Amino acid sequence: MIPITREERQWFLRSLAQGLIDYLGVQEPPVPVEDLLKNPPPLYDSDFGVVDMYSNLWDATFARPPTQRGSIFVRIDLDPEERRFALARETLSALITSKHGRAIGLFDLLLPHLRESAEYFASHLLAPATMLKAYHEQGGRARGMSKTFGIPPFVALQRWEDFHSIDHTP
Amino acid sequence: MSMETLNKLVARSIIDPGVVQAFTAGRIGDVISELDFSAELCDSLSDIEAESWAEYAVLAYRYVKAAEEREVRIQLPSPLEGLLPDEKRAEDEQAA
Repeated sequence: MIPITREERQWFLRSLAQGLIDYLGVQEPPVPVEDLLKNPPPLYDSDFGVVDMYSNLWDATFARPPTQRGSIFVRIDLDPEERRFALARETLSALITSKHGRAIGLFDLLLPHLRESAEYFASHLLAPATMLKAYHEQGGRARGMSKTFGIPPFVALQRWEDFHSIDHTP
Repeated sequence: MSMETLNKLVARSIIDPGVVQAFTAGRIGDVISELDFSAELCDSLSDIEAESWAEYAVLAYRYVKAAEEREVRIQLPSPLEGLLPDEKRAEDEQAA
């Protein structure tokens, strides 16, 4: 794999997120990430799923038991916003380890920076630039973003700052 | 515009196996030629060699970004404009 910059990796992650949003056909927030995992694109029938768990060890983690469907195991007692973000974050692991993801070369491209990539991917899956732009143009403010997009306040703040500094283009 | 087209292609590739199949079969040029790229970019993107679709996408991003930056540079006015008096500028233009 050729060396790539952070900017290139982030562009690629935004495009992946946009592909899933296009599949869902949603134009307005909140992006229904749990619906996506429960009713995945046909390519990911064996890779997307959600299993609620009682756990104090993690908020969510993707696992693929041998010969079984991959699933995101998520803590049952998370706040709705935290749950959505954790599911979106772990969706990247599901993509990377899927048959299609491996065929594309996601594993080599994204694994060395998985945690950072997953959080970036999640924030763009749940708050894509097009929706954020529309929200901003309709008078939306940083304070209301967490509720409108269904994401944790610290993620909303970070995404809002990113949006205003770099990415007005989809 | 070209970057928007590339964004859409990469976004499509995550849910449409046809794009990656075309790449793997060495027919990505067929896909590219159907999209809204300039003839020059179309040739460049069709000729990219990469080990995987992800690598191809990143290399394509570099080509498209460079092409768009060149376009912006061409549209920029000369830095001399506004510094030279009108008469001098007219003389320079005549000489050219």
